Order: sequence, then C-alpha cells, then structure tokens
Amino acid sequence: MKGLFPVLYRDYVMRTTSPLWLFFDLVVPVMYLLMFGVGFNSALGLGIELEGRSLSYNEFFLAGVISMACFGLAMNQSYGFFVDRDSGIFYETLTYPITRGEFLLGKIIFQCILAVIQTALSLAAAAWILGVNIPSSSLVYLGVGILIVTSGWFFTFASLAFLMRRTDTFNTVINVAYFVLMFVSSMFYPIDRLPSAFRVLSYANPVTWHTDVFRWALTGVGSTESALVQAAAFFIFSLIAFRVALWALSRAVE
Amino acid sequence: MKRTTEQPAIEVTDLRKVYHKRGSMPVEALKGISFTVRRGEIFGLLGPNGAGKTTAIKILTTLLRPTSGSARILDRDVVQHPLEARRAMCAVMQDNAVEMFLSVQNNFRVYGRFHGMSGADISRQSSRVTEIFGLQDVLNMKGSELSGGQKRRVQVAKTFLVDKPVVFLDEATTGMDSFNKRETLEAIKHEASRGRTIVLTTHILEEAEELCDSLAIVNHGRIIASGSTQEVKSSSLRLITVTLTFNRVTSGVLRKLERLKPHKIAHTEDTIDVQVRSESVAMDVLNSVRSMRGFRHFEVAAASLEDVFMDIVDRQERAGDT
Repeated sequence: MKGLFPVLYRDYVMRTTSPLWLFFDLVVPVMYLLMFGVGFNSALGLGIELEGRSLSYNEFFLAGVISMACFGLAMNQSYGFFVDRDSGIFYETLTYPITRGEFLLGKIIFQCILAVIQTALSLAAAAWILGVNIPSSSLVYLGVGILIVTSGWFFTFASLAFLMRRTDTFNTVINVAYFVLMFVSSMFYPIDRLPSAFRVLSYANPVTWHTDVFRWALTGVGSTESALVQAAAFFIFSLIAFRVALWALSRAVE
Repeated sequence: MKRTTEQPAIEVTDLRKVYHKRGSMPVEALKGISFTVRRGEIFGLLGPNGAGKTTAIKILTTLLRPTSGSARILDRDVVQHPLEARRAMCAVMQDNAVEMFLSVQNNFRVYGRFHGMSGADISRQSSRVTEIFGLQDVLNMKGSELSGGQKRRVQVAKTFLVDKPVVFLDEATTGMDSFNKRETLEAIKHEASRGRTIVLTTHILEEAEELCDSLAIVNHGRIIASGSTQEVKSSSLRLITVTLTFNRVTSGVLRKLERLKPHKIAHTEDTIDVQVRSESVAMDVLNSVRSMRGFRHFEVAAASLEDVFMDIVDRQERAGDT
C-alpha cells in the first residue's frame, strides 16, 4: 500500500499548483446549489410534492448536488487520464514501482477526499445559507454513498478515457454523457411527472439510483426498501464498471 | 572507469509478441528474440522504424505482456513479478512524458516520490541532475512551456534522479539540438560509469557507436546481428572505407576504381569514398591510384556502424525477397 501515497501526492501537487482546477473541483456544486437552487426556490417559488411530503426546492435539490459532486469529479478525473495519456505520462506512470491496483486506488481515494470536501461544503452552504435541515442520521449514509458513487463513476469514465483515442470523440462522448445522465435523472426535478419515455430512461439511469438514495437519507422521502434496491443496483453497476476499467486499463497500453 | 560484470542484468529468451487487432490480421512484432545484457554495460537495441524495438522495451518495462518467452531484470521475471522488476528500473519512453501542468522542479518531486525517495534526497538529487543536464533556466517552467528537446532532457534527467540499477532509454535524444544532445550523451556515459546498466534504443547510429558496449540489431521482429559493437561491425563482411583525395576527381579515376568492383563508391569534386570488403581490395585501391596525377592523400577506416547497419539490413531484406 506504500504505492498509494505517491499517487495521492501527485494529485495533491497538481491541484494545489492550479487554484482554478481546485476551485472547479471544490466549488462548482456549491455554486449550483446556491444559484440554481436559490433561483428556482425564490424566483419561481417552487415547492415539490413528493410521495406525500412537501419539500422546498433547496431540500429537494441538495441530494442532486451531492450526486453532481461525485459524478462531476469522476468526469474531471477522466479528462486528467486522457491528458496524461496524450502527454505520455500515463504510460510512464505504469513503469513506476507501484501496482496497477495502487494506481487506481490512489486515484479513487483522492477523488473521494475531494467528494467528501465538496459534500461538506454543500451541506454547510445548504444548512447555513439556505436554512435546509440536515439530519445527523443521514451523514453515515451520505459518507458511504459518496465513496461508492464516486468510485462507480470513476471506473465508468476512466474506462472511456482508457479506450478512446481521439480527443474530439472523447470530448463529445463526455459532454453528451454529462448532459444526458444529469438531466435524464432525478437530479434537478422529480421524475414521476415526466413523459413516460423520459421517465423510463430516468429510472434506468444510475444517476437516478444514487440521487434517490441520497434524497431518502437527507429528507426521508421514499421507502427504505426502494432505497436499498437502488443502492444495491448502483453497487452492482460499480462492480461491473470496476471490471471494465481493469480490462480497459490493460487494453490502453496495447 | 566502467564497472561491468559478467552477471546478467537483463535476460531475454525467445520473446514473442503478437498484436491482435479487430478486423485486421495479427501482427507479429517480435518473432522470438533472445539477448543478454551484462550488469554495468550500455546496450543498444537498434533497428529501423517498426522493427520491434519499442515493443521489446514495453515488455521489459512491464507495460506489455509477451505472447510467449521470458524476460528477466536482475533475476526478476517481468511477467511473474512485474512490481519487483519495476523496482529495479526506470524508463524513458518514446513520448515526451513530462507533467504538463507542473514545473520542472515539481516534476522531479513527483517522480522522486513515486520511486520512494525522501524530500531531502529529492532536493539533493534534483540539484545534481539540474546541473548535469543544464536545466537551471527551466527549473520553474511548466512542462507545457518547454520545447520538445527540453522536455526530453527533463525526462532523461528524471531517470537519473533516482538510483535504479537498470535504465531504459527509448530514443532518448529525439528532438534535442546538437549541444543538448552532446551534454545528454556525456551524462549517460557518466551514469553508466557509476555501474548502472543502460538499455537504449536509437535510430541515430553515431550515438549507439559512441555509447554502446554491445548491441543487437532488430529487423522485422528478429535479431539479425548482436554482440559487442566491434563484433557487430566486423560481422558485416569487414567493410572498409578508403577515402581518396585528389586535386580534382576525373572520370578516368572513377572508371579505374569501378573495375576493382568495390562494395560502394561515392565521390565529390575532390574526394572519393570507396567501400570494400577486404584489406587486399583496399590495398588494390591504393595501388591503383597512388601514382596517378593529382592524387594527394588517403585515409583508411573501418566502416561506421551506420554502414554496417545498412549493409546487414539490406542483406536481410534481399534474403527475404529471394
């Protein structure tokens, strides 16, 4: 496990020598929460009726923001992989005296640390600025969920970065994935009132699964059984993504 | 003073690599190559583009798995024990692999950490390689701000920042200007003199001739010549170059030399290079011109590695055609 530390050190140096990157990594979801949330909550006066509960838009959106933190970080990391492969440093790193497992695990741990910081900032902003009640019982679920969700999306996007060769193809796929996966989900709005085709796609979207679990933990909306099923589904999705990422990593050097 | 020992640092046995690509025929990049590199020597893997050099280096640095055969670095099998093998080596790959968003100084720090160095060791060794490779002026520049040659120098400097017994340099001087190249070659020689084993691939044969203790020439995935640099040079049917200088080269002189059936003949306005395959023909060349009017002087030299390389590859290509 000694090989983890240089991976963490490298990402730490990368971030701390680029304040803009650090800002983007840490603050973007909070900005979404404050600007998007406040905008919908105040300007449009939206309240959300969900499974017999009435939530303010900020209460509803907070789970989406935490999902966005995990999802967005994994996507940024995949850009990092792509740039590293383009510059050749990715291949050189694979000749360093660390295992492939330490390399991937180090990357995941760093992303998880950032995701936890992002979530903490989002929760603090939600509680202190927007007045959202954060039940302390939700924190354990959020903590475990953040680790699994960040890892699952990390494996997914890393696979794309390992397998795709052309920058334009990669950029297009990532941008379309970002747009579709975030907006065809329960991240920004409840999906039960959407057109049926849209609703089916949203239910099949892993972003919906973990957003609903985070929302259940934060607001109590939804049944425990449903949250468990969705959590299990995302866990299986992560395991499959892990297998694919290992395969893609071995393909990347061929 | 070099510290070469008979103990092998690298042993490659019957190494094969076949690339399978969907929708196209499998490509056999290595067709069973074998070679041994002694500890403390500089070994050159030479060959034209696509010969299989980089594939061999990728297998030795554990980036690729061979289809069959084995490779060992300091007795550690690169397939069975890749981590142990990586602990014994460092590598410059063909890409200009520097951290684009980090300064050169931070590139050294990160590289050193990956190789288990302490902060104090990194500082000390950074100063050393900065001086050896003349990187003082670019130390605070980011990787993305460096020229291709500067990136390459930083890359080579990184490998000498860490004290690994085996160093792989894949086309290490690509993109460097002649001044930087000279400094880099001197640095490589200096590091080899400290007992490191260095494996380099290059298509610049002058470099190989200057640096290498032994070498292997690879073409179409096979080794077509190997041994000490002198052995390889002499394996090519003893090519000898006779350089003749005249006041002015005339067609009569050229006709006379052509009759001796030399391997190759080339001339300028006042000089003729005659390549022959034996000392006796070289003597015939000298005898045929020494009393001619306008003849000024001559030089006799063994053929350069480049001549030998071209000759060996050419002979193999012709043998393959027939």
